[in-house]
Amino acid sequence: MNKKRAIILSTVVIFSFFAVYLRLIDLMILNHERLLTEAKRRHIKVEDIQVRRGIIFDRRGRELALNLELESLYCDPEKLDLGNDGVIRLASVMAKEPEVILSKIPDRGRFVWVERKLEPDTVERIKGLNIKGLGFIPEAKRFYPKGELASHILGFVGIDNQALEGVELKYNRYLKTTGGKVFFGRDAGGRILSSGVEIEAKGNNIVLTIDEGLQYLVEKEIDTAMLKWKASAATAIMMDPFTGEILALANRPAYDPNSAGSVRDSDRRNRAITDCYEPGSTFKIVIGVASLEEKVVKPGTLIDVSKGYIQVGGKTIRDVHKYGILTFKEVIQKSSNVGSIATGMRLGKDRMYKYAKLLGIGEKTDIDLLGEVSGWIRPPEKWSSTSIGAIPIGQEVAVTPLQMLRAYSAVANGGFLVRPHVVSEIISPDGQIIASFRDKKMNRIISAKTAETFKDILKSVVEEGGTGRSASVDGNEVAGKTGTAQIINPETKRYSKEKYVSSFVGFVPADNPRLAMIVVIYEPKGQIYGGVVAAPVFKNIANQALSYLDIPMDDDTYQATLLVSK
Amino acid sequence: MIHTGSSKNIISFICNALFITLLIIGVFGLVYLRSSAMKLEYNLGDLEKTKMNYLRERKTLLAEKARLLSLKKFDVSSGETYGFIFPDRIKVIHVKRQKESLPYRASLESR
Repeated sequence: MNKKRAIILSTVVIFSFFAVYLRLIDLMILNHERLLTEAKRRHIKVEDIQVRRGIIFDRRGRELALNLELESLYCDPEKLDLGNDGVIRLASVMAKEPEVILSKIPDRGRFVWVERKLEPDTVERIKGLNIKGLGFIPEAKRFYPKGELASHILGFVGIDNQALEGVELKYNRYLKTTGGKVFFGRDAGGRILSSGVEIEAKGNNIVLTIDEGLQYLVEKEIDTAMLKWKASAATAIMMDPFTGEILALANRPAYDPNSAGSVRDSDRRNRAITDCYEPGSTFKIVIGVASLEEKVVKPGTLIDVSKGYIQVGGKTIRDVHKYGILTFKEVIQKSSNVGSIATGMRLGKDRMYKYAKLLGIGEKTDIDLLGEVSGWIRPPEKWSSTSIGAIPIGQEVAVTPLQMLRAYSAVANGGFLVRPHVVSEIISPDGQIIASFRDKKMNRIISAKTAETFKDILKSVVEEGGTGRSASVDGNEVAGKTGTAQIINPETKRYSKEKYVSSFVGFVPADNPRLAMIVVIYEPKGQIYGGVVAAPVFKNIANQALSYLDIPMDDDTYQATLLVSK
Repeated sequence: MIHTGSSKNIISFICNALFITLLIIGVFGLVYLRSSAMKLEYNLGDLEKTKMNYLRERKTLLAEKARLLSLKKFDVSSGETYGFIFPDRIKVIHVKRQKESLPYRASLESR
């Protein structure tokens, strides 16, 4: 009996072990791959490394573009349980119509976005609704804390943080970074264990040449001018004439990059580099510099403009006033068209064209922003019989405001053509400088003597008797030139009698220039002259900018250190 | 001999008991260490989560700070409320420092 029991027991034990072995073979050999995958799926969570764009700073380290950490709401339609009034409660929290939310949720599928990048309080309220099938994923939202300020330089990004305009797009390869995957262990309850790795990848930071303070002053003043003159648009650029660093660049109309999707395309246009205009009298820099460099005239050379008009190719060009006999310096100071054309005719079209090109007219400045146009000047062989009478006074040519500013900067800095730029440094997330745009070599285009002589002539424009008197700044000499140009009416193909472009371009302090600046006001109403419309804007900006930068007045004594408010 | 034999048995008994105790302690020790390691991982996971939350908050605060410190906001709001203005060098006069200026001494010591 005992032996029989022992046999039965042994058989049961053996079969039990055999069954266990069979199961082990099933688990460890036959279904090994499937079960391993399943185990990994349950115990290892894979997440995308969160990619964050680099921060954009101004030249003093103030943030102009950074990232906010927000959460986006998604839905798993197969698990969604809205109940009776779930959609109404959700719609009320999100301040949307229930139909709008329902239209985003399909009947099938496992993932669909309901709303991207929600405000934190909205997220908390949605979480409080406890709706099954809804979930949140953290996402970065690009945020421009200064709103409209420098919007045409910064550009903006799309909903997926893809660069679309401005520095964001031009320097996208530095600002963005690659992501990857990160693996987390988790237990049976779904609790996540430590990954031990950084789950955020940061792009490089960018330091601009822009100064937020100067940018604000420029934007404030062109806003005032837009209102005062009921202008259709305006542009102002401030640059360091020696380095080409853009200190401020503003256009109106402008836009808030935080809501760039809802603005008109025309508001997003960076007119400083994408829009051409006929420069008018500011173009007389070409005649002035070329004729001085080629020794065609001297500042004191007398030019008879007493008739008040000149005929070129059957076309009559007049001065605003009859001046009599002027020196060449006075021709520029009073912006005499007749005197400029007469000088241009003595210079000849080949040399005029050569110097226009040397000063960068009809050439891209190569600024590190996208969408720049080259402007336009025809080669001499394509000039008409009237061109020699039009080009010296800034007609039949198209320039961008930045080109004109660069040309005047060449006079300010003693004869060098600078390369304008808006980025000074690219810095890695750990603080290493990856690229620097300082100390670039410049090309000399005119002699220092010519630059100095023409600078003196430009100073006289802002003195008594000059057209740019209202650009004068208390305490420092200004050198510059006014410009008033008619706009071609696209319907009649002729110059409009109502629409003008008023401009002033110059630099200050004249003898030791720190700021070169151009102000262009498009289609002002009431007044048209650059000396009346644009020059006061230059003055207002320059006055405040010189104070902001603590640039001493020309007559300051450095020994005086005690400052007392009046 | 009998005496020797019983003493061997006692030693063997103690060794066995010690071995079993060590085995049990070892097993429990392993389980304890394993659970401690798991607990540590949970704590680290929680700390990482907290760190992420703080970093998120830091970014939000930095953005808010940058927004509030914008010169436009400062010029408009602080100018109106507190009378702050941008520096204007025209409203400043420079007074030449006198080299000989010394503080007036009221004491009679030096007289």
